[in-house]
Amino acid sequence: MDNLGELLHGFSIAITLPHLALMVIGVLLGILVGVLPGLGAPNGVSLLLPLTFGMQPVSAIILLSSMYWGALFGGSVTSILFNIPGEPSSVATTFDGYPMARDGRPTTALATAFGSAAFGALIGVILITFLASWVAQVALAFGPAEYFAVYFLAFASFVGMGGAAPIKTVVALAIGFAIAAIGIDTVSGSVRLTMGVDELVKGVNFVVAVMGLFGIGELLVAVEEEFHARAVSSKIEWREVFRAIGRLPRHSVALLRSAAIGCWMGITPGGPTAASFMSYGIARRFSRRGRYFGTGEVEGIISPETADHAAGTSALLPMLSLGIPGSATAAVMMGGLMIWGLNPGPMLFVDQKDFVWGLIASMYVGNIVAVVLVLLTVPVFAALMRIPFVIIAPLIVIICVVGAYSVSNSYLDVVMMLGFGIVGYLFKKLFYPLAPLVLAIVIGDKAEDAFRQSMLMSKGSLGIFFANKLVTCLIVAGIALLLLPLVLQLPRLWRKPASAATETTAQEAAREKVII
Amino acid sequence: MGRTSTLLLSAAATVLAGTMPALSAWQPQKPIEFVATAGPGGGTDNLARAVQNIITKHKLVEQPIVVVNKGGGSGAEGYVYGKASAGDPYKVIFGTSNAWQQPLVSKVAFNYTDLTAIAAMAQDEFLLWVKQDAPYKTAGDYLKAAAAGEFKMGGAQSKDTDEVLTRMIEKSGHIKLTYIPFKSGAETAVQLAGGHLDSHVNNPSESLGQWRGGTQRPLCVFSPKRLPQGAKVTATEGWGDVPTCVEQGLDIKQYEQPRTVWLPGKVTPDQAAFYVDLMKKVQATPEWKDYIEKSSQIDTFLTGDEFDKFIKEDLERVKQVAGEQGWLVK
Amino acid sequence: MISRRALELATAILTGSFGVVVVVSSLDNGIGWSSAGVDAGTFPFLTGIIIVLGSLYNLVRGVMPAATLASVPIAITSIELRRLAGLFVPAAIFVAAIPLAGMYVASALYIFAVLAIPRQQSVPRALTMAAATALALYVVFERMFQVSLPHGALAAAFGF
Repeated sequence: MDNLGELLHGFSIAITLPHLALMVIGVLLGILVGVLPGLGAPNGVSLLLPLTFGMQPVSAIILLSSMYWGALFGGSVTSILFNIPGEPSSVATTFDGYPMARDGRPTTALATAFGSAAFGALIGVILITFLASWVAQVALAFGPAEYFAVYFLAFASFVGMGGAAPIKTVVALAIGFAIAAIGIDTVSGSVRLTMGVDELVKGVNFVVAVMGLFGIGELLVAVEEEFHARAVSSKIEWREVFRAIGRLPRHSVALLRSAAIGCWMGITPGGPTAASFMSYGIARRFSRRGRYFGTGEVEGIISPETADHAAGTSALLPMLSLGIPGSATAAVMMGGLMIWGLNPGPMLFVDQKDFVWGLIASMYVGNIVAVVLVLLTVPVFAALMRIPFVIIAPLIVIICVVGAYSVSNSYLDVVMMLGFGIVGYLFKKLFYPLAPLVLAIVIGDKAEDAFRQSMLMSKGSLGIFFANKLVTCLIVAGIALLLLPLVLQLPRLWRKPASAATETTAQEAAREKVII
Repeated sequence: MGRTSTLLLSAAATVLAGTMPALSAWQPQKPIEFVATAGPGGGTDNLARAVQNIITKHKLVEQPIVVVNKGGGSGAEGYVYGKASAGDPYKVIFGTSNAWQQPLVSKVAFNYTDLTAIAAMAQDEFLLWVKQDAPYKTAGDYLKAAAAGEFKMGGAQSKDTDEVLTRMIEKSGHIKLTYIPFKSGAETAVQLAGGHLDSHVNNPSESLGQWRGGTQRPLCVFSPKRLPQGAKVTATEGWGDVPTCVEQGLDIKQYEQPRTVWLPGKVTPDQAAFYVDLMKKVQATPEWKDYIEKSSQIDTFLTGDEFDKFIKEDLERVKQVAGEQGWLVK
Repeated sequence: MISRRALELATAILTGSFGVVVVVSSLDNGIGWSSAGVDAGTFPFLTGIIIVLGSLYNLVRGVMPAATLASVPIAITSIELRRLAGLFVPAAIFVAAIPLAGMYVASALYIFAVLAIPRQQSVPRALTMAAATALALYVVFERMFQVSLPHGALAAAFGF
């Protein structure tokens, strides 16, 4: 329990007035960049970086990491209110968060998301505190074959379920893989699928795809149905905030399971995006109310949010202890570390105890500051839902356009975003599932790289995926998750094959309703 | 024409040459965009931001500077953007030797001749790294072991600097290596630490932390002479203690990665001269020295004909390796 | 008025042609196994084939009259189509105007047009909102986060 002593020392560094003030500034700025799609934590971090060169490294990292927390929380806001996820990791939050907000309960949705996110982050920090050295070792055990196994597991837990027509799911998934392959291929260095457009060599950015598919697509669906969000009562609902937080412990199983998935995916290189999808997929499969997922279920918000933040937090550990940044923001922070004269890597924990433990302590305090601040903003954000649709719709269009443009200052991206909007509308209208498409865009190329790297290492033998216990377990778990729904269905099909064949149209229509 | 008139003429020319730049020198009139052909946190991004900070701090330019990341397609995104902005002197592209190497081996829609070369500002060194507990102590031992077994060499990207060097090692050492490409040097370093690879050829800054942490160590440096001593990295050794590869029987005298600066094509000589001058001023500041030292790079400044010669020589070398490997795009 | 069947057909053709493009362009990268491992085109080729086959299946299923989808014969009514166009067409014009007018001017015009022309808001209010949007964009992006949004060809012609 050496770590406990170090942590207490860390708290004495983190809880000082100037540091608390830095946290508040960082978190507020973070919420701002998180809420504005197109701007993300990397923008904020690189903006602040030059200002921090005069500071103590501890103060600087506290400022930057607080902004990271703020941005993580802020990212969920637009997902829930407008169905526009600003970060890959908050896509899964839209599945139930947006329907709930549309149903007139934005306060509950936001408060639930923030509460469970804070819980996930807290578990992540506790993990870092007590298992730092063990975690670093686990991360080292991951070679290309293990990476592939982790991605496979993420796909397996998410695909192969849900009510969508299976062939439509397959088409959506394959389109996602193809989009992910556009651009330069890491393993061969050659340019793929640019279809004659030179600029496509950079690939299709996730934000561009998602702003169109989700943001514009949803807007089109909403305007067509002449849908107006159910009136939100005008008084500020503090009580609802507390009630939503108070109800969280009832879902303790979902919270703990999601936190565990998040931590696991954060340490292993799966990352927050895979974590949130996987957690959502597993929750949907194992929750008693699984079939209502996609219509505004509380656990459908809790699961991805908890896992996202648990993973986002524990992903900072590989950065500190190994020097691999888990995300773009972490990469910019790492650049900062080097400029402050610190070298991320195994020696950081030995050489720079004050810094490391000050940072870890600040994760506890910073997250608490962040959740308090962000809960204070809930009524403000919820009030956005009261703006009439005719005004909010063009504003969402502008947000999506600016967001798509600022990803890499490219007009082509804006045009593509609009194209994705049409695709998103068509898919939604015809019940093609969007989630597998997005998951494939985000981790499809990584999975492919890992597979081909493994094949290079093994000289083409698939045996590499069963070469040791770790990778075998992951692959077997993935296959099991894939086959589970089939196995469960089998006895039912056996007993009455006739009824399965003549499914009524009403049933099919009802089933299509809950497709996400 | 007598002797005096020639003298007069040349004097006039000198006066003209002296005053000309001052009269017609181009000055930026609006914000300048620095395009880093790498993602946030990469070596090229760090360079662009360091230069931006120095210029802003010393007020070397009146106009604000914005850094934009265009690292897609191993940097091709940034170069294509530079090509598309022909004639625009407000876009400065920061890259590496990628600018001329990439068009050789993949079908990207640019070549370095589409851009205006400004300067090569720093050189990153390459070292041969192995796992800390590997049995071999010198590059010679490594080559012997590699000849006997099947070694896996990791590196950042495919058919890029790391793989070119790997193929050169194969040829020079008469061995066969399996090259496994990863996204970045940092990722490669972690794979070596985890024992999934046998070696890699990272730059100093990419593996500094790992060396300090005792997960991997350098065998030799691909440089004609040892690196400057500097501060100790581990308890006993610093960069200067790493022998050169030639010393140890791996005959590759020199292999470096220049950090390059470009303008789009079709800019005026005045505009190019302004940026050459600006980069020279940047290089004279103490902050620059600090940046070079902290990122363990070598300070150089190549511009004009020297830079051109450097590119030509490097191109020849890469062409040879790429030709032998069958990488050249048709 | 667009029937569900027509929409299914159109979408299947759209995804199918994307699949064909993927298959064709992946052939450039080589498919199969070479000394450098799995060739770069292999996976895109396979996904392309899957997309094409899947789209064909969806196409056939969309056409077959016996398909259960017939329960929803009309996908988009003419009123709905008008509403869709009312949102999408101005948005597309807005995007098309960006290279010329720049992000700030285009977004101000866009806001003004969609609010004032269908008489959703009074002209002065629409003007205020348009100006506020452009200003907010400028302050947040250009000033605070130093993200330069396009100023447009017109602005460049006037020397901005």
